[in-house]
Amino acid sequence: MSIKRKNRPLTFADVLIYAIMILVVLICFVPFLYMLALSLSSPEAIINNKVSLIPVGINFDAYNQILNYPNFFRAYGHTFFYTTAGTIISLFISTLFAYAMSKRFLKGHKLVMKLIVFSMFFSGGLIPTYLLIANLHLTGTVWAMLLPFAINQFNLIILINFFRAIPAEIEEAAIIDGLDYFGIWRSVVLPLSTPALATIGLFTAVFFWNDWFNGLIYLNTSQYPVMLYLRNIVNGTTMVGDGAGAADKSTIAMSIKSAVIITSTLPIIILYPFLQRFFVSGLTVGSIKG
Amino acid sequence: MTDLTIPSKPSQKDGAPRTSRRNHFRRYWQLYIMMLLPLCHFLLFKYAPLIGNILAFRRFRPGMGPYGADWVGLAYFERFFQDPAFWSAFKNTLILSFGNILINFPIPIIFALLLNEVRSQRFKKFVQTISYMPRFISVVVVIAILGELLSPSSGLLNRLLGDLFGMEPIYFVNEPQYFRPIYILSETWQYTGWTAIIYLAAITGVNRELFEAADIDGASRFQKVIYVTIPSIMSTIMVMLILNVGSLLSLGFEKVLLLYTPSNAFVSDIIDTLVYRTGLVSQNYSYATAIGLFSGIVGVILVSSTNWLSKKVSGESIY
Repeated sequence: MSIKRKNRPLTFADVLIYAIMILVVLICFVPFLYMLALSLSSPEAIINNKVSLIPVGINFDAYNQILNYPNFFRAYGHTFFYTTAGTIISLFISTLFAYAMSKRFLKGHKLVMKLIVFSMFFSGGLIPTYLLIANLHLTGTVWAMLLPFAINQFNLIILINFFRAIPAEIEEAAIIDGLDYFGIWRSVVLPLSTPALATIGLFTAVFFWNDWFNGLIYLNTSQYPVMLYLRNIVNGTTMVGDGAGAADKSTIAMSIKSAVIITSTLPIIILYPFLQRFFVSGLTVGSIKG
Repeated sequence: MTDLTIPSKPSQKDGAPRTSRRNHFRRYWQLYIMMLLPLCHFLLFKYAPLIGNILAFRRFRPGMGPYGADWVGLAYFERFFQDPAFWSAFKNTLILSFGNILINFPIPIIFALLLNEVRSQRFKKFVQTISYMPRFISVVVVIAILGELLSPSSGLLNRLLGDLFGMEPIYFVNEPQYFRPIYILSETWQYTGWTAIIYLAAITGVNRELFEAADIDGASRFQKVIYVTIPSIMSTIMVMLILNVGSLLSLGFEKVLLLYTPSNAFVSDIIDTLVYRTGLVSQNYSYATAIGLFSGIVGVILVSSTNWLSKKVSGESIY
């Protein structure tokens, strides 16, 4: 936090700005600290309102307990699968589409571009989409989670712009070397687009990881992702803390709820620092214009 | 945002059209093949539902496909225009949206302007990194955390209010008058840092010479923000405003659904939750499609009219 510029003294305005920024950081962080503290505290400490941001009576009972819930594990596994498969499918289809669309000379290029942009402002809506997926007999299958969301128009446009920025000379050299367009896509364009792919991949993975609503309307209970499991705990559809005495139920539920919140958010928090350096550049490259 | 687009490569653009049609396809057929699968996917999942909106004018019959069985004209539209539940949802949507824009449109701009004034680059970067993070948290988790923070028996906020002001615990998530503040402030928490990226990028692009000229004129720091920075990022602000107004009717539907309780229904039932309940819960597919289509069309009208207005007034537009 050292002030680099020497020639200006720290003014009152500076102090105020720093204070506001520290407040912002705290506001972003406190909810997570509170959850962490609750998940690690003993039920007595929670019931006596002793826990605020530091765990009281540290123990890992809540984590032990949720790790023994078969449903939690299963839901976690499902989310893992939806996220991995969904992201791979999405990146595959989107990069193929975007690479072809990065060639403005293709016939119909303008029309397809217009269709993409139009569908960003006017989407099919909940019911027609639901009925389409039901009529394709995808409801109750994992494809209902993976296929309909493979193309995100916003990400697609970021990719198109990114691919357009690749110097044409590189592709021309690859053609001379005997590569066809699929070869260029695979061994020239994709390797050169790591920042864009990391950004889009992160957005897509986060979308799949966080999704619960599509799971709710398209899947059977046995296929639910972890976010839907958490939502069912929160609204009381799924009971937690069974096997404990009725009196501790609500407090146990509280530490378990927090443990589920922490474990289901953990992968994002762990991945985040590694990927965040990519996404600012990725985001600013592909602003809306096509 | 014009400055962020990438100029097309002349060799790509000009290389092709001079060749004959046959040569064109002989040379580029692979690119067309490449586009085939994604394009079919795109048309199926984005445009088939769009066409599916004709269900709003047709009666749905189970087993007769997603496009309905027979024409009924505007019957469903007439029905919801007379439905008090629709007008209540319409009103709730507008109030929540305007409240949301009023609070959450300026805050990221102010945040970006303040953050830009932070002198230590490392601290600036640190604040930025932390402030984006909530954007990546699932709305389910946000609501679950809110439920615990605001819980009347042990929530941090009620304890704080009790200790500081001796207030009785308030059951925030169940009291209708707190629904809108909870929705709007949780949006602030989740998206301020993220939305500020766009403005920070715009501020970084401001011509340094303008600031130097202002320095020579003896402008104070505050004056530089008001007379140099803000006018320079005005086009970004306008574009963001158009996008905000355009999505006036599409609120964070999932969040509203998660915050919905029978006791706050009369403020929390918005158009999207009404569509969800009448369509997917009560299975009045045609009726719900009609409501959804209406709100979609209003959305498009809103975007194009704010876009037109902005073009007239400030010369900025998104298309």
